[in-house]
Amino acid sequence: MQPIQAADISLPQPDTKPAPVDRAGESFSSMIGDMVANVEKQQENADMAVQQLHAGNAKNLHEVMIAMEEADISLRFLVQVRNKALEAYQEIMRMQV
Amino acid sequence: MDIFTTFKVAGSALEAQRIRLDTISSNIANVETTSTPEGGPYKKKSVYFETTPVSFGQHLQDSMEQHVKGVKVTRILEDNSPPKKVYNPSHPDADQDGYVAMPNVNVLKEMTDMMSATRSYEANTTTIKSAKRMALKALEIGR
Repeated sequence: MQPIQAADISLPQPDTKPAPVDRAGESFSSMIGDMVANVEKQQENADMAVQQLHAGNAKNLHEVMIAMEEADISLRFLVQVRNKALEAYQEIMRMQV
Repeated sequence: MDIFTTFKVAGSALEAQRIRLDTISSNIANVETTSTPEGGPYKKKSVYFETTPVSFGQHLQDSMEQHVKGVKVTRILEDNSPPKKVYNPSHPDADQDGYVAMPNVNVLKEMTDMMSATRSYEANTTTIKSAKRMALKALEIGR
């Protein structure tokens, strides 16, 4: 029986490799900080959109709604991450030493 | 490609359909307009849709992203078909034979076009709702 040559098998390679994400030096708190800042920005965007709509400067109603939805989903995501982090912390605090 | 890409794509479609509805309302409003600044009766307007990339810059190298396109109204076209002639000698815009050139707008066609625009708008808002539901379902994984 002929063994399968490993060199003959070639998987299709993606043409572009995603840039490597360097998270080694990043602490957990800075990651959370970035996330909060991002959510904060989304909320500000939504606020700005609503203000512009009330001032009569908004071009489209749906853009305001979409900005609000984006802010809503981002905030919910942040809350979920916070819940998970808190859960992990409490789990560790309950550990017997 | 993030979850908000759907919002961007559907948002571009919402804007395009809104502009389409604008032109339809202009057509219906001017169904009996016989005089325009360019001369002659009002001409029926229609929109011209074109695809548009949804994002610029950092996401463009993502090969999946290049296949997802938004839509944009790039031009508003004028229908150059001949105007309807109506006999009305007392009208100020009547020609020497007593005929008035009326706009080439068909109200029935405009109404069906309007329903189509409304339904497309609804379809795209449903896409946005779906994307939101999917995102919220993904957040439920952690619960």
